[in-house]
Amino acid sequence: MSNEKLDKQIHEMRKPLNGISMQAELIKMLAENSPENAKILVAAAKIIENAKACSSMLQDLSVGDDSLPQ
Amino acid sequence: MKSILLIDDDLEFTEVATHIIEHLGHMVSVADSVEEAKQWMETNEFDHLLIDYMLPDGSGLNVFEHLQQKETPMPKVTFITGNPKIKSAINHIAGPSVNYLMKPIEREDLESVLNPKRKPSKVGAGASSKATEHFDCLIGESTVMQTLYKMIERVAKSKANVMIMGESGVGKELVARAIHNASSPDGDLIATNCGGLSKELIGSELFGHEKGAFTGAVAQKLGVFERANNGTLFLDEVTEMSLDMQANLLRVLETKRVNRLGGTKEHLVNCRVISATNRTLNEIASENILREDIYFRLAVFPIEIPPLRNRVEDIPLIAGSFVAQLNIEHGEKFKLTKSQIERLLSHDWPGNVRELRHMLHRAFIMSEPGTGELELPSTFASPFSQRKQAANSLSAGKTIEEVEKELIYATLDEVSGNKTNAAEMLGISTKTLYNRLHAYGEEI
Repeated sequence: MSNEKLDKQIHEMRKPLNGISMQAELIKMLAENSPENAKILVAAAKIIENAKACSSMLQDLSVGDDSLPQ
Repeated sequence: MKSILLIDDDLEFTEVATHIIEHLGHMVSVADSVEEAKQWMETNEFDHLLIDYMLPDGSGLNVFEHLQQKETPMPKVTFITGNPKIKSAINHIAGPSVNYLMKPIEREDLESVLNPKRKPSKVGAGASSKATEHFDCLIGESTVMQTLYKMIERVAKSKANVMIMGESGVGKELVARAIHNASSPDGDLIATNCGGLSKELIGSELFGHEKGAFTGAVAQKLGVFERANNGTLFLDEVTEMSLDMQANLLRVLETKRVNRLGGTKEHLVNCRVISATNRTLNEIASENILREDIYFRLAVFPIEIPPLRNRVEDIPLIAGSFVAQLNIEHGEKFKLTKSQIERLLSHDWPGNVRELRHMLHRAFIMSEPGTGELELPSTFASPFSQRKQAANSLSAGKTIEEVEKELIYATLDEVSGNKTNAAEMLGISTKTLYNRLHAYGEEI
């Protein structure tokens, strides 16, 4: 696969990853006012943590040049 | 509460981001293209724009360029992208007001860009260049400025409303920013010019409006009081506001509650109000331009900014700082020579720091790039300086002959050199005028 194509795919993969992460953030925010939601908060935090790990791996894969498509 | 414009064509992202940002206490409007963003900006003012770098009809940079062309104050801008190379793409515009966020975005990321925590600023805290920037924005080491800094430090510790007085161009908004920086509040500094708004618009600008409140109110709008919540509201040219509107302003200052136009709910607001005027206390008192009750509400702590001619020792520092700033913007290495600084010191700068900055900017445009030699205009004269120079020219120590000569030349200038008119204005015969000019060595 060409570097350009790989970079494009990495960029595309961040989109659903961002959706996962942000929805988990919203769950956290909606749940944090009630102490009985402690397990939901932990689960949401784990989702965010894993999304971050994926993002970091994608960054390592990125190989293209330094310019952004206009 | 801030007014945010979120520009992204990813519907799922805008939905979840809107929920999160609203949860953080801000108001969000959404656009999915460059064109829609431009439409929003036509009728609304935003504190912060979150812009996706790649949009269906262009780049996020197109939105930024459109913003730069507008005359309204520049909001903060955060570019959002999934591509780590954004850093190099926005490098040329990055600064304190422009930054970026990388997807995936966390709540903390949004919090940090929407409510950046400032380090408490003290006198001289921002001493990165040669001239010390007091409270990160004021330059000058003269005695009058030291007194001003002390006042800013004192008032910053209180929650008192401040009224800033001073001639046009002395830097009233910068002093408001200095007070804001020194107070380190959670909210923002929101500035509005009461003199530049029509009677119809000022209510909506100050207090906001609900959707459908009047023809053209296509969406809800936050007023500056709500946008400055937990921060500082700067009302420039407050004395130009109509007396009717001052009554509404007084109500908000007294109750700390605003009612958006067309709304029924009252919203609690908590902000320091800094107002400014270039009218003197005498004018305020005698010309009935500010209600007495509102004056006492606004001017709990009045501050007078000295004109530039009363702190000439600061001119080299201020001019040097402007030149350094312009050098960075234009990629030049211009310097002011000793004789040029002496020329700056001898001018009275009736337009104050603003006039000095504009003159230096003109000089930058006129100077030959790459030479390092800044070409100052041959004269700094403006309609205002001529008037003042004429008024100030009469001082003890001059002979009657010298004063007479100055008066004759000033009169000739006034009548565009017409000697008959000048003689009539001076109350002397044309022959006497010709004799005097001959004595001054003029060829007639």
